[in-house]
Amino acid sequence: MAPSLLYNPAKLPPSAALQLAQQAPIVLQQSLSGTETVDQWATYENLLLSCLRTGDDEAAAKCMDRLEERFGADNERVMALRGLLSEAQAENNGELEAVLKQYDAILEGNNTNIPITKRRIALLRSMGRVSDAASALVQFLDFSPTDAEAWSELSDLYFSQGLYSQAIYALEEVLLLSPNAWNIHARLGELQYMAATTSGNGGGSQQKYLAEALKRFARSIELCDDYLRGYYGLKLVTTRLLKEQAKQAKTDEGEFTLPEPRTIQRLDELATAKLSEIVRHSSLKDRGWRGYDEREVAAARELLSQNGIER
Amino acid sequence: MAQVPVQTIHRDPQLFYWILFPITIVMILTGVLRHYASVLMQSAPKKLDQKSIREQRSLLHGINVRSNFHTLSKKSFATRRDALVTAFESGAYLKDPERAGGGQPNPLSDPSSMEGMMGMMKNQMAMIIPNTLIMSWINAFFSGYVIMKLPFPLTIKFKSMLQAGVMTKDMDPRWMSSISWYFLCIFGLQSVFNFLLGSDNAASQMAQQMGGMGGAPAQMFGPGVDPDKQFKAEAENLAVIEHYSVLDNVEDRLLEGISV
Repeated sequence: MAPSLLYNPAKLPPSAALQLAQQAPIVLQQSLSGTETVDQWATYENLLLSCLRTGDDEAAAKCMDRLEERFGADNERVMALRGLLSEAQAENNGELEAVLKQYDAILEGNNTNIPITKRRIALLRSMGRVSDAASALVQFLDFSPTDAEAWSELSDLYFSQGLYSQAIYALEEVLLLSPNAWNIHARLGELQYMAATTSGNGGGSQQKYLAEALKRFARSIELCDDYLRGYYGLKLVTTRLLKEQAKQAKTDEGEFTLPEPRTIQRLDELATAKLSEIVRHSSLKDRGWRGYDEREVAAARELLSQNGIER
Repeated sequence: MAQVPVQTIHRDPQLFYWILFPITIVMILTGVLRHYASVLMQSAPKKLDQKSIREQRSLLHGINVRSNFHTLSKKSFATRRDALVTAFESGAYLKDPERAGGGQPNPLSDPSSMEGMMGMMKNQMAMIIPNTLIMSWINAFFSGYVIMKLPFPLTIKFKSMLQAGVMTKDMDPRWMSSISWYFLCIFGLQSVFNFLLGSDNAASQMAQQMGGMGGAPAQMFGPGVDPDKQFKAEAENLAVIEHYSVLDNVEDRLLEGISV
């Protein structure tokens, strides 16, 4: 699928972002006259983001000017984009500090400006002041606890610090807001799996994490039965459980328990079969199997070959 | 049986041009005017301060935990429940905690709710004033005329509606008076306004009436609702949840449901 300027380009691979940014001259050539269309301003915003990613600050500034002209410089979203632009144009740490001061000044006047609050947190994080970012984020979530984006950012922050249980807590909040997000279920499974690997060998807590990871991956596949990451995680967990031949350790009341070894075996077979199917089809570029990320498919292929499974 | 003779009334064709058209045009013009007037009068939605955002979103958070608890394990649900119930009952999320339990706040004393009411008043006024004016204008100038004959037959029940202002007992209900044409215009011009002003215009009164009734306020705490009570109720709702998890037996469901 060709990348479109109508969707947020944050998650696009670099080549697609470049492709989008190269549309800038065409889009910017069109004059502003005439009627507004629904997609027009979304286009400008996404073009701005793509141009910043590819280093075309000039075109980005032009997009910014148009957005500012239309919505006014005191629009919260425009303010955040303006801040993003000056962050990108800052050349050294001192200028970034200046941008940060600007954010602080804005928030002093209006402490409910959510886009600016988020930009400030992102800037703190990118400047390496992770603990400041985390505390600012916690403060933000105190008055806006229904913001899924912020919760997942917090989870990612904690995860980068190695604080698994806090990261898991934050991600569970995301699930409370969107209970059927299979990628979040799988991500939570990944976090639980990593927590299990670091929590020392044996013992109840490790098994508790593994059991929940298994269930999270299974749930994510249940919600989306082609989800590569879900199968990958399931395969990882089951392989490990089968290797360890873990005995059912004593668990607290109210925690998940491991399923029967036979069930684990069958889950393992299911994950292997599905993974090799996905790998086979997407390396042949079959119709209907094209959406997978190449790196993820490569990782899956490697996992399969590690386990000595012939495709 | 003798046929009822078809009633014919000889009307001056000028009636058509001097009554029917003016009324229609005036109605359309006032509709357009009302649309732009209400666009002008619209005040920007009031900004909430941080405290009230916190109050509203915390309650929303509680509702989310209550409705999606099944994604959590029992233990993590229990921790959240305990924390939320304690906070809700102690009023930790309230905008001004000292007013908790003080009963219903007087909606008239709260300036923010006054503003909302003023907005509603303005809308109502924009609707009532032009209608009153036009109706008295029509009554003063055009009352008592029969201006047109509808091209389809009607039962006698329509007489009072269509021949308002014309006191003639035996006249066929198909004959229409000017004031009735005015009423027809009020209800029938909706699609004309949609065409002229776009679909979300403020000219059509039907839309306004619907909005007045069904438009649940975007703010969760309308005037006269005690947030403390809502928090207490939510705490109770949370406390009575019997936990189950969607992860219970998910692997069995998966193995049954999926085949490669």
